[in-house]
Amino acid sequence: MQDRPRNPWARASGTVETAPADEPVKPADPSAPAQDTLQGAFVGRGRPLFWLALRTGGLTVLTLGFYRFWMKTRLRRWYWSSIRIGGVPLEYVGDPLEKLLGFLFAVVILAFYIGVVNLLLMFASFALLQGNVAAYLLSFVGVIPLWFYAQYRARRYVLARTRWRGLRFGLEPGAWGYAARALGHWLLTLLSLGLLWPRMTFKLEQYRTDRTFFGDRRLHQGGGWTMLFPALKWIALALLLGLVATGALGSGAGGLSFLLFLLAGILMLYGLAYYRVETLVRLTATKTLDGVGLRLAASPRKVLRIHLVGYLLSGLGIALPASVLGALFVFVQSAETLADMGLDSLPWAGLDRWVLVLLGVALYFSIFLIWSALTHALITMPLTRHYAQGLQLTGSGGLAAIRQRPRDEHIEAEGFAEALDVGASL
Amino acid sequence: MTGFETRAIHFDGQSAEPRDIRLQLDPARRSLTGPGVNWPLDEVREVPDQGGADLLILRRADDAVQRLILPDRSLAAQLPRRTAPVPAVQRRQIWIWAAAAVASVALIVFVLVPKMADQLAVFIPPEGERALGEVTLSQIRSALDESGTQSVGFCTAPAGLAALQRMEARLAAAMPEGQPLSVHVLDHKMVNAFALPGGYVVFFRGLIDEAGSPEEVAAVFAHEIGHVVSRDPTRHALRSAGSIGVLGLVFGDFAGGALVLFLAERLIDAQYSQSAEAAADAFAADLLLAAGLPPDALAEMFERFRRLGGDDEGIMAHFMAHPRLGDRIAAARTATPPDFAATPLLNDDEWRALKAICG
Repeated sequence: MQDRPRNPWARASGTVETAPADEPVKPADPSAPAQDTLQGAFVGRGRPLFWLALRTGGLTVLTLGFYRFWMKTRLRRWYWSSIRIGGVPLEYVGDPLEKLLGFLFAVVILAFYIGVVNLLLMFASFALLQGNVAAYLLSFVGVIPLWFYAQYRARRYVLARTRWRGLRFGLEPGAWGYAARALGHWLLTLLSLGLLWPRMTFKLEQYRTDRTFFGDRRLHQGGGWTMLFPALKWIALALLLGLVATGALGSGAGGLSFLLFLLAGILMLYGLAYYRVETLVRLTATKTLDGVGLRLAASPRKVLRIHLVGYLLSGLGIALPASVLGALFVFVQSAETLADMGLDSLPWAGLDRWVLVLLGVALYFSIFLIWSALTHALITMPLTRHYAQGLQLTGSGGLAAIRQRPRDEHIEAEGFAEALDVGASL
Repeated sequence: MTGFETRAIHFDGQSAEPRDIRLQLDPARRSLTGPGVNWPLDEVREVPDQGGADLLILRRADDAVQRLILPDRSLAAQLPRRTAPVPAVQRRQIWIWAAAAVASVALIVFVLVPKMADQLAVFIPPEGERALGEVTLSQIRSALDESGTQSVGFCTAPAGLAALQRMEARLAAAMPEGQPLSVHVLDHKMVNAFALPGGYVVFFRGLIDEAGSPEEVAAVFAHEIGHVVSRDPTRHALRSAGSIGVLGLVFGDFAGGALVLFLAERLIDAQYSQSAEAAADAFAADLLLAAGLPPDALAEMFERFRRLGGDDEGIMAHFMAHPRLGDRIAAARTATPPDFAATPLLNDDEWRALKAICG
């Protein structure tokens, strides 16, 4: 209390008087008069995010992975608080300890599955088929429904811990229903050679949206699945081009066909980005919350560019530590070869091997850390910013009537999702 | 005394309606006050990790939902417990679940999986067992290669292989029928040998380099056959199939976890149980006697390992790790009857050929 600024009162009241009450570009002013449309904004910057990701990642490595629950929480808080709708930031209130708890809970369940089921599968696969491919395949297939289940549960947890204007979001229980539908839709999509992909996209989004709440009001997904068909157009064009390229290859025009294949590949990449963005835009525009509407403006080209540039720059960012690690590796190898040849009287042969090993391990981890921090700052953040800036709430007068919803305890948090990220590497 | 005053948005946590209020710091009552707001200063916390540095977002430690959004950070310096932690919910539960998770993992890794592996190892048909051994051997070979790009090669000098086959035939003659063996030498400096499911016995070059006589190699051979016959490696392989996935689950696959996983895997892999080793020793002694070879060659090999023990790299871990190596040496010595007359195993040429098996 001693280091009070000299005259905080004057400054504070000054702020109040000089701040124009209706300045729309200043997101810091949440009290802009309630026009009917609320504009989304993103205020976070890449540099602080990079350091936050690097710092928390370093702690995660130092604590043998246990800080990752804190890391995730802190990064989410940062992202959520950077997104402002009508000047009011979102808030993430998840607790690292409840994530740890959820993870422990998932371990109790999954340890049994992974330990016993894998052992049995391994036995059966070797005993009956003399190989372990069947075991890996079956244990992978067995995890797929669990994976969708975990995805829904994780979404439920994240929504339950997200607030805006002091009110909680929520998602109704329904993870097994989601897993069953996801499996069915995937099967249909595969059987229809992708033609029913938009149907899956729509139906799964509808399932999630119709179970999503803001405060005590339920979100509603309007529209129909056929409205997503146009989102496939660039992919269709890429496939068509690929077909033409195959034809060209068949008729002996090798050079032309190569060119066409290249073009088709690039077009496919754009087509996938286009599908992702376009479906999101269309699905968002048809969502409503009790008279409040949503709108999203997003550009597939920008999304693709963020990915390409982001990965390129992140790759450049880790190039230096990676090449140092490579050089160190060659150095250790050659030192060993020389030692094997009895030439260990060379001056640097006395250099402690452990120092080199430790240096190598430190470099190895720092490459991971820098990569993850760079992709946060150069990909995740710009993408989030792009979507946040394009988001609009229309008819926001309806928000006033919305009331709080009770807390969803959700004891297992996103434990299954957390554990299954790992389970995928089984 | 004048109070600090600022504009603020208050969200009462009950409705989505923002309330634009004037907020005052009342130093006398040590509280933040305004219409509908009366927050004791000691309960006021800042919501951390904000992406935008412009706003100051405040909450009450004792109220989960109310929020105050201040247009600038000038009040921050006057909140004595701004960064103090907010008591989280139900810490005791964490400990209960942590204990449950540790107990369940321990139960699965140390009790359930080993028990099941022991049971299943008996039922696995010979072809399956062989396939398991083959897969494990190729995994070990690529894991041992330091450059990480290829596999450690087999040593295949023809004369050396012939000597090794002679040794195998001598031991096999003293064994009951029906136990297929397949013997390999890996070109690696480690002083070690191991058995794998399906009758695989694998020596490292280092062991053959260090051995003082063919009988010592034969003694290790007999010991590994002991493991093969009792199906120790099959149990072991099934056990790690179950346990390693579980440990991967616990530690995660983020950078830090990879290291722990590697170390944990090592720990699991390090050794068979003491009784399995003792049984393999006893089997070896009987087999050597039946083949007309001196069982105390095993003792000599053990002593050699013990002398080499100062140099920790690659000494047969499952021999060295046991504190009772002395007992095992003594047991191997006493297994030789006083009137025992050994029949020579390899002649000098054959022994030289075996030593040069890796070229």
